[in-house]
Amino acid sequence: MPAVEISGAREPADRLAAAVALRRLADQLEDAAVEEAMRAGWSWPEVAEALGVTRQAVHKKHAQRLIAAGVTLRRR
Amino acid sequence: MSAFTKYVRTALEQAGREAQLDRSSRIESQHVLLAMSAQLDTPAARILLLAGLDHRALQEAFERERAQSLRAAGVSLEGFDLPQHEAIGAAGGVAPVTDLGTSVRTALERGVSGVRRNPRPEHLLLGILQAEHGTVPRALALAGIDRGELLLRVQQTLLKSAA
Repeated sequence: MPAVEISGAREPADRLAAAVALRRLADQLEDAAVEEAMRAGWSWPEVAEALGVTRQAVHKKHAQRLIAAGVTLRRR
Repeated sequence: MSAFTKYVRTALEQAGREAQLDRSSRIESQHVLLAMSAQLDTPAARILLLAGLDHRALQEAFERERAQSLRAAGVSLEGFDLPQHEAIGAAGGVAPVTDLGTSVRTALERGVSGVRRNPRPEHLLLGILQAEHGTVPRALALAGIDRGELLLRVQQTLLKSAA
């Protein structure tokens, strides 16, 4: 059984909605955390390793947004 | 460009800003609904307003739905330290959201694709409101809105305008 207990949810609809909301929250958390890390001087490979994805994947997902936000990005 | 195409373009642009504020990577039907409620001089916005769903009320409904769904998984946003990051909220220099989520594509297919002549904003509203599951119907239910009644009003408006 997963560690997260969907205690208040009585119906499949509630549990599905919980999954959707959690997924959104996870995305937002990742966006914020990646930005925080890059502003603190983390490198792409370090962030990628922390997230368990490739450097290319994290760059593709986040670079444009970070550039638009004016974050100075390291080349590597 | 037809008036309807112009309307949809404006609505999707505004929805893109709503999605951005909502920190969503895609435009979903809830963002389009928010955008439609903000285009005040349209029958669609008036129908929503009549049901008590102005932009603010819709926003609150979506926030409530979100909080409730998270609570169901034992997560509370109270004191949740999601750092405010400048990629969202800055007035300029931010990439607006343009990707359409599945919920919007479905709403367009349902409400608009089958309309042969004179598609109207209300058709898009219909497509959005016809979803039986997901964020929009849940938020409306939480706000005490009778979705069936709302759908009926949209359909009546469409019939009147076709007459």
